[in-house]
Amino acid sequence: MDQVRRIIPVVFLIVFIVAVQLATKYTGTPFYLTQLTMSAYYSLVVVGLCVLMGYAGQISIGHAGFFAIGGYISAALTTHNLLELKDNAFVSLLNKYGVLVLREDLYGETLLTVHPWYACLLAIMTAVIIAFVIGGPVLKLKGHYLAMATLGFGIIIYQIVMATEYFGEADGISEVPSFNILPGIELGGGFEIRVVNYYIAWGLVVFGIIILQNLIHSRVGRALRSIHGSEEAANAMGIHTSRYKLYTFVLSAAFAAIAGVFLTHYNGSIGPSEAGVMKSVRYVAIVAVGGMAHLWGALIMSVILNFLSLRGVFGTYDDAVFGAILIVIMLFAPEGILGLGIFQKLKKIMSGGVSGKTPELQESKTGQKQV
Amino acid sequence: MRGPEIHDRQQQPVNKEEREVAKRFITSTLAVVVALAAMITLLISSTAAEAHDIKVGAIIAETGPAAFLGKPEAKTLQMLTDQINAAGGINGDKIELILKDSGGKKENAVSFAKQLIEEDKVFAILGPSRSGSTMAIKNIMEESKTILISCASTKKIVDPVAKHVFKTPQNDSLAVRMIFMEMQKKGISKIAVVVGGTGFGKMGNMFLNELAPEYGITVLENETYSPKATDLSAVVAKLMANKEIQAVVNWSIVPAQVILAKNMRQAGWDVPLFLSHGFGNIKYVQTGGAALEGVLFPAGRLLIADSLPADHPQKEVLVTYKNDYESKFNEPVSTFGGHAYDALMILVNAIKAVGGKQDTAMVVDAIENMTFVGTGGVFKFSPEDHSGLKIDAFEMMTVKDGKFAKAM
Repeated sequence: MDQVRRIIPVVFLIVFIVAVQLATKYTGTPFYLTQLTMSAYYSLVVVGLCVLMGYAGQISIGHAGFFAIGGYISAALTTHNLLELKDNAFVSLLNKYGVLVLREDLYGETLLTVHPWYACLLAIMTAVIIAFVIGGPVLKLKGHYLAMATLGFGIIIYQIVMATEYFGEADGISEVPSFNILPGIELGGGFEIRVVNYYIAWGLVVFGIIILQNLIHSRVGRALRSIHGSEEAANAMGIHTSRYKLYTFVLSAAFAAIAGVFLTHYNGSIGPSEAGVMKSVRYVAIVAVGGMAHLWGALIMSVILNFLSLRGVFGTYDDAVFGAILIVIMLFAPEGILGLGIFQKLKKIMSGGVSGKTPELQESKTGQKQV
Repeated sequence: MRGPEIHDRQQQPVNKEEREVAKRFITSTLAVVVALAAMITLLISSTAAEAHDIKVGAIIAETGPAAFLGKPEAKTLQMLTDQINAAGGINGDKIELILKDSGGKKENAVSFAKQLIEEDKVFAILGPSRSGSTMAIKNIMEESKTILISCASTKKIVDPVAKHVFKTPQNDSLAVRMIFMEMQKKGISKIAVVVGGTGFGKMGNMFLNELAPEYGITVLENETYSPKATDLSAVVAKLMANKEIQAVVNWSIVPAQVILAKNMRQAGWDVPLFLSHGFGNIKYVQTGGAALEGVLFPAGRLLIADSLPADHPQKEVLVTYKNDYESKFNEPVSTFGGHAYDALMILVNAIKAVGGKQDTAMVVDAIENMTFVGTGGVFKFSPEDHSGLKIDAFEMMTVKDGKFAKAM
């Protein structure tokens, strides 16, 4: 029964995803899928971060760093030409085992690069390992100190990509190839494979949501919430707090890295702005708007805000909008927009009556606001 | 038989809760759908245009780290479009400029490029301001057969040549060659290279070291300073110790480049100082004062528009643009805005040349065969050369009495 409750929204999400695709098809507006696909990948980062922040209660202002690690490593490995190093023992060994692939670019130049599949795996694994290594010491910190440490990590990654020739410095990496992730299913930004890519992206989001929901509603999820409530009490109850925190951190980093890899191949390029501090702040802002411990709220807000931002609706005020949102939400709706109970109020108006549960909920919300 | 009944009764409250959840979800989904629908109709209605207008997209970094490039570019494009439309447009068709602020971000440039191509169905795109963003959309433009005239300088944009991709700024390597040719004239063969720690500085450092042997010049010292440096006397002291140095090249786009010149003169070191085209900003001259008198640097002729001889081919274009821009925006004109001027005018002239037809293949052909007098120089495009500028686009300049002047 609890499972049914959890499945309903997922089914709704899937229906909604398909409905949007069909709607764009029949209204002749398939171009909306481009930004919806990009939003889906950013949403993957956001839902991962949502579990870390909302449920485990650990902030991270460095998640753009993990996104960039995934995207940059995959991009670098699949674009740097190894043809000149062909006689190098290591390169020829890799070539022998099928790790490398020979391809031709748009201008007829032959390139020998790492096969995108191996590049993606390596990129995600690197992000996971880095998350493990820095997560151990960093998650011992609390509150502002944790925020500062993760912020520092994000800045380090940004400086590394800005100063490393291998990662293209200020120009980033372009001409990242598209490739078949499964036979017949091509991951890339071409106009003709847009629908497939829309479903790849949203399939990943649905998959991620299911994993996270199961996590939240399991023993681990309850342990995480107890850590959020009081780490000392959780410790006293015999919960291995540091391990749970670390695993959640690594999981959300993996989500970010996967999103980074996929979006980079979809866009065909990645630049240092993906690793920037403003990007990390943006993810945090979206999680806050959605309501910290509200997976669906985070997802909905992420899709809407990213979609608008990627279409240039905010114009010159793009970064300012996200900063302002964070401030306004923290001041007036610390539980997120969905936590304001607008829908309960709407429902009350629509049904014209009061069902047993709603006023109670509202009261607690208004009570909190006054405090 | 009674088993299921009991089971049912136990389920009831949960079912109710389930329905609650479902209901709440329906309402929230509805709200989202309504919001999206409203947005979409708004966007569609705003992009409806008149039949024959020429839609031109522009992806410009008006904000973010490259705003010093994007601001003058955006202003120039807006001003120029208004002027052309006020004069009746191109063969009667008005230009509709769709300006997008990329914030200097590649992912935004990619998103906007796709949006402009498919949704707004623009005829051509101008910009992006930055090399990275241009490279990110180069293949998208080529695959969708839409013209791109970039305002970014890296050589990779036009090498390998993509049929539909052009650029207006001069290659950095041309400025380096210009400096070395001047050195040969002066009989200088041993130099020190000092660069500001930015992408511009690194690129210059690479070309300076790569091309020096071609001109029989030896680079004795290489130094990089922080773009935020406030005092560089340590660097100057180190270089001064090497008595063989005959000249210093200071390749930078940041304000700190002025500090090096000041520290050199304060230390009483009077070897010739060469700067890059990144020095072409009158504000730098004002902060540097007397220390900058007599420095040498290559730059486009926009900086000395007023003092060009009347019969110079660029004279008219430069003076008109400079006066228009400065009177409208009340700020000194910069070469960056000039890149956007050239990009739009190349497109406009090409469309005019084919009789106002919006035919991509014909317009590309027209650009490839065109000679265009712009702010950056005299462009001569060809199917193999989509940059169009040669070394004569640069002029060796100096600072004389606190003003830019042609070097003698």
